[in-house]
Amino acid sequence: MASAALKSSVSSLLPRFGRPPRIRAHPRKDRATGLPRPPVKLVTREHAPCRLEDHYYNTLQDDLMYMTYKHEHLPRPTPRQIRLTFDPNDPYAKNRYNPPVGGSRVGKKLPPPSTANNVIKLEKIVVHSMVKEALQSKSNLLGAIMALRALTGESHKAGGRHKVEGVQLVRGKKSVGGWIRPGVPVGAKVVLKGQSMYDFISTLVEFVLPRLREFNGVVLPPESSSSSSPSSVSGVVSFGLPPQAMGFFPQIEVNQDSYPKMYGMHIHFVTNATGLGAENRARALVSGFQIPFVRR
Amino acid sequence: MSRIEALAKFGASVFTGRGEDVQTTSYFFSYTVRHSPLCRTLATEAQASMSASTSSPPPQPTTSKKSLKPRLSTAIILNRSPIITRSRTPFEQAYYAYQARIRRALHQPFPYDFYFKQGSLLETRFNLEEKEREKAAFGPGFVQEEWQDPAKAEADKAAVKVLAQQEGEGEPLTPRVHPSDTSGDTKSLDRAGERNLYLLLKSTEGGKDVWRFPQGGVDKSEFLHQAAHKQLLAQCGETMDTWIVSRNPIGVYKPTQTDANAPEHVVFFYKGHIMAGQAAPAEGIQDFAWLTKEEIEKQVDKTYWENVKDMLSDF
Repeated sequence: MASAALKSSVSSLLPRFGRPPRIRAHPRKDRATGLPRPPVKLVTREHAPCRLEDHYYNTLQDDLMYMTYKHEHLPRPTPRQIRLTFDPNDPYAKNRYNPPVGGSRVGKKLPPPSTANNVIKLEKIVVHSMVKEALQSKSNLLGAIMALRALTGESHKAGGRHKVEGVQLVRGKKSVGGWIRPGVPVGAKVVLKGQSMYDFISTLVEFVLPRLREFNGVVLPPESSSSSSPSSVSGVVSFGLPPQAMGFFPQIEVNQDSYPKMYGMHIHFVTNATGLGAENRARALVSGFQIPFVRR
Repeated sequence: MSRIEALAKFGASVFTGRGEDVQTTSYFFSYTVRHSPLCRTLATEAQASMSASTSSPPPQPTTSKKSLKPRLSTAIILNRSPIITRSRTPFEQAYYAYQARIRRALHQPFPYDFYFKQGSLLETRFNLEEKEREKAAFGPGFVQEEWQDPAKAEADKAAVKVLAQQEGEGEPLTPRVHPSDTSGDTKSLDRAGERNLYLLLKSTEGGKDVWRFPQGGVDKSEFLHQAAHKQLLAQCGETMDTWIVSRNPIGVYKPTQTDANAPEHVVFFYKGHIMAGQAAPAEGIQDFAWLTKEEIEKQVDKTYWENVKDMLSDF
């Protein structure tokens, strides 16, 4: 009803664009399918304003820039050359990998200098679910695939976008005796970007987290945990939801009986933060979307 | 979009407007602020050390030539974030209408039997609404009416209407314009819901009435961001819950000095958010107002405006 009201208000405002265009020429039809072939490549883009995206650009981005800004009044010193590098003109050493002394030191790298252009930003959300029963029979994955599709609304190349992959299968990588073999499907995952990412957060925050029993927030690691581990310098915030949580998503709740069972899931918020303290900065961003964090 | 729905923004900012029911919480808040050396709510990394603040002298209007250290002050830009979504320009509306139509044209087939029981009331309602949406998107000629028993069609429509009434549909949404917008009440926190509002105080400086942000001096061995928050509480009362965003100042302003011998005066600006409550100006403060960026330009001094305008949000 509300959408109809919006439509009518839009069409009254916009006599040219609100109304469907008259079809002037009939497009050529595809021989194989019999469907009309549009003369241009159609791609869907944002079709409605996005509240959380607005919130990010109106409030969060400024606040995060102020919170994470580190003042550096001098340019950073160049890394010390401990050992002679290969002579690039030596044909023997040419194109050879020149390993840094003491390893790559990924965990020790400083974040890039704070500027207005590299304020922390959410890049994508990955939702994935492992179904152990899929090891017995692949058909046990179908419920999880359907549930993830209903949850996120993503499908393969949806809206004419070739990068959108929809729900993908997760296959085993290693061979673990008696359990898993490479190439065996064990789960499903979805990558959310752009508006659907923000829509997912708002459903999660408004419908799911408040109704979870005994959920006070995402538990932070103890303060003694390492600050240079790969996970704490990669700018990704991850947490899991129990199988009961899936039933609280309104997309699933409406016909929960249609699914064979409820599935737990892991959610990864991938941000553009890198370097020391990246995970903490990512947590500051995610908590700005009202996802609570607690320290045990 | 209702006002309440849009309220679920930054810090669950339900503005009560009156001070009575927030007294207890704000008391607790001010207590914690006074007794914790560093009050931070978000788990961010450690910030750059504020070495400048430790060496700051107390604000003293001394004229001796010995003290050339600058006199430090802090000011707070207290912000009320937008509480409703921004209304869109005609161009944006046209763009969204066009994209929604493309999306409708390209969407994958909807699995009716997965979501609805065959012949259920919910399915009937969905089909009727879907027809309306198709008509709105592609024109009345696009939807082909299937033959249906007229009596049954009438019964369906009536049943759907009853269902809609039961679910409380058709109730008017909260208007996007608040009464304080029409009455021009600049003290209300519900005004201009689409915009960022900032707290401005009216006080007397040098025998003149000026509008400025809450501002005050820094004591010795006090952190700048704590001094800023203390001054805010001192000038605007303790009836509101606020959060100072960062320990880093967001801007600096050096007022022109009338007395050549006086030490330089430096004002550091901090950003804060109001979470609940309302300002209750203390003695010495004549008035307060919650204003948008354009309204601030009209109120404040020109040089002051030139220094603060880039710290304020255009929306």
